[in-house]
Amino acid sequence: MKKMFKVVKREYLERVKKKSFLIGTILGPLLMGGIIFAPALFMKFTPESVVKIAVIDGSGVIFDKIESALSDTLPDGTNKYELRKIETSGLELNTIKRDLNLEIESDVIDGYLVLPEDVVKESKATFFGKKLGNIKTMERFESAIDNVVISERLKREGLEYDVVGKLVKEVEIEMIQIKEGEEEAGKGFDSIFMSTMVFIMLLYMSILMWGIVVQRSVIEEKNNRVIEVMLSSLRPIDLLLGKIIGVGAVGLTQYLIWVTCALVFALYGLSLGGPVAEIAANLSPATMAYFVVYYLLGFFFYATMFAGVGAVCNTDQEAQQLQQPIVLCLVFTIIVPMMIIQNPDGMFATLLSLIPMFTPIVMFMRINILTPPAWQILLSILIMLGAIYISALISAKIFRIGILMYGKRPDMREIFKWMKRA
Amino acid sequence: MLSIKNVTKRYDGHTAVDDLSLVVEPGGIYGLLGPNGAGKTTTIRMIMNIIQPDEGSIDIFDAPLSEKTKEKIGYLPEERGMYRKMKVLDHLVFLGEIKGIDRSTAVMRANEWLDRVELGDWRDKEVEALSKGMQQKIQFISTVLHDPQLVILDEPFSGLDPINTQILKDIIITMKNEGRTVILSTHLMDQVEKLCERICLINKGRKVLEGKLSELKLKFSKNVVSMRFSGDKKILEGYPDVEKISEFGNDLSINLKDGADPNRILSFAIEKGQVERYEIGEISLHDIFIIKVKEKGGELDEEDV
Repeated sequence: MKKMFKVVKREYLERVKKKSFLIGTILGPLLMGGIIFAPALFMKFTPESVVKIAVIDGSGVIFDKIESALSDTLPDGTNKYELRKIETSGLELNTIKRDLNLEIESDVIDGYLVLPEDVVKESKATFFGKKLGNIKTMERFESAIDNVVISERLKREGLEYDVVGKLVKEVEIEMIQIKEGEEEAGKGFDSIFMSTMVFIMLLYMSILMWGIVVQRSVIEEKNNRVIEVMLSSLRPIDLLLGKIIGVGAVGLTQYLIWVTCALVFALYGLSLGGPVAEIAANLSPATMAYFVVYYLLGFFFYATMFAGVGAVCNTDQEAQQLQQPIVLCLVFTIIVPMMIIQNPDGMFATLLSLIPMFTPIVMFMRINILTPPAWQILLSILIMLGAIYISALISAKIFRIGILMYGKRPDMREIFKWMKRA
Repeated sequence: MLSIKNVTKRYDGHTAVDDLSLVVEPGGIYGLLGPNGAGKTTTIRMIMNIIQPDEGSIDIFDAPLSEKTKEKIGYLPEERGMYRKMKVLDHLVFLGEIKGIDRSTAVMRANEWLDRVELGDWRDKEVEALSKGMQQKIQFISTVLHDPQLVILDEPFSGLDPINTQILKDIIITMKNEGRTVILSTHLMDQVEKLCERICLINKGRKVLEGKLSELKLKFSKNVVSMRFSGDKKILEGYPDVEKISEFGNDLSINLKDGADPNRILSFAIEKGQVERYEIGEISLHDIFIIKVKEKGGELDEEDV
């Protein structure tokens, strides 16, 4: 035991002292948060520009109303939509379109709208443009025309748009999550999902990364032959556990730093209100505790397997082949959230969260979304502990023999033989 | 100190160590000798319980190896390895600590040893910055840092220049004088001839010869004479005392039958021809090895010896 802790200490200090640890600790959450929040932020901060649109108004009555409906302004106060009415007097539609197409080509306008004479009756119009991709702009544009056309129709029927609007107003349902019997104020589902995804990605990344660090360190020790000196001083199991615990502790340090930052942020963020408070509300101490617990369980389970892989391989390349089934299990767990989110309490999600390979990430996700029954959480932890024990036992046997094998990599049959013999 | 009883280790297809038995008494330097592939390293790894024998048993300090006895042993493996990114002093202290000595003792002794082998200026450098010879010295220090009673050195001189070889030899002799037991495994027999008191020669996993070096030499040299003789060799071959004659250029190496008096063949040779040189052989370990292996009908790859 004492010697094992010397190994733990060495593995821990040698890694924590490295610059890459600091960089990883800072960059990890930024990266994961970036991947998940970037698209939304990107949309938000894309600079808006004036949209120039030509309108061929066949009905002759709609243009002015559309223009006044699209009164959005840019941050600098100018109008966002610049509409130009095209007079059709005596000209062929195709001739006008040809001219407008050229204007689009030379970027004079962004597009043009053709409103046929009977637009109010038929509800059909056509938009021509080069870039049809900007969903936000197009949606706004469409709804403006909608409103104008509908109100025009209502007027023809002798109805007032505003009055009808009030009559057909939809019921707004506010979603409030009940967690542990308490109302969770101000938590939109989106924010739960987003922040859960950040944590899941962090779990995935760190379990995989630190697991592979263990594997690498076994291979390295094997390759530089330091292993024989080690074995003349302590038992293989001390070395194996020392390595795994040492590396696991490095990861844990990282987690504690993250969790501390998250809690400080939560404390501060709640008072800010708005979307920040929404995210902050998800960073409860309980969530953070589960975050750390499932990291530890996941890490020890996967790291023992990675150590076994390392013990039978001589190079990282060899190991990459053999580690694939293990890595795939992990990858699978970050693909399934989409399925789980639809029915986090369903059979599929529940079962998945109780299979050791998937427990850490899937159970953590379920806990975040709906708080499963306590017995399920407890069971998942017990199952993980049992799985870690078995995985460590098997790994220790492979390790015992594998670490002194050089040359040809043993095939699966030989590895099974070792498990029985050792 | 160490007793190996009927130990056998097989790898698929070949037997690395075959029914080997030997006893190492406390004190002195014991040579485990034999060509490459003879089974020396396998034997040592079994002593250290790094691999397990298929048959037989090994007792060390009168019991099978335990975690506690590991602390009384210093082991320098044939395959040299260190944590390349660690600082020299940290490395030594770590290896000392896992051998059971406390940190402050480890630091103190490591510093003493570094000064002794003139590597004191390197204590804060990373291991990989050191030359191969320096690394080897560091590794040797880590072997003895915890003050072991038994020191097992597997090919300790390989890769060392003559100066460092001499430094290492001096340290080994010092250790012997301090009452430690040293087991020295090597294929370079002439290297250890002047160091070892007792030896065990192994070849192809089997023991060829074991005993006190001085007695072995006496025993073998008594029966061998070397002679530069200008005359008909056939006359000598016919002499009743002669077991066998081998020719080395101008010299003849004559194996006499047990109990034969070396002087008789000299006077016989003088009668029959001209004797230019005559010596009751000082025999080298190398020659003893060849004689014994050939005696047993074994084959020998000369390059290995």
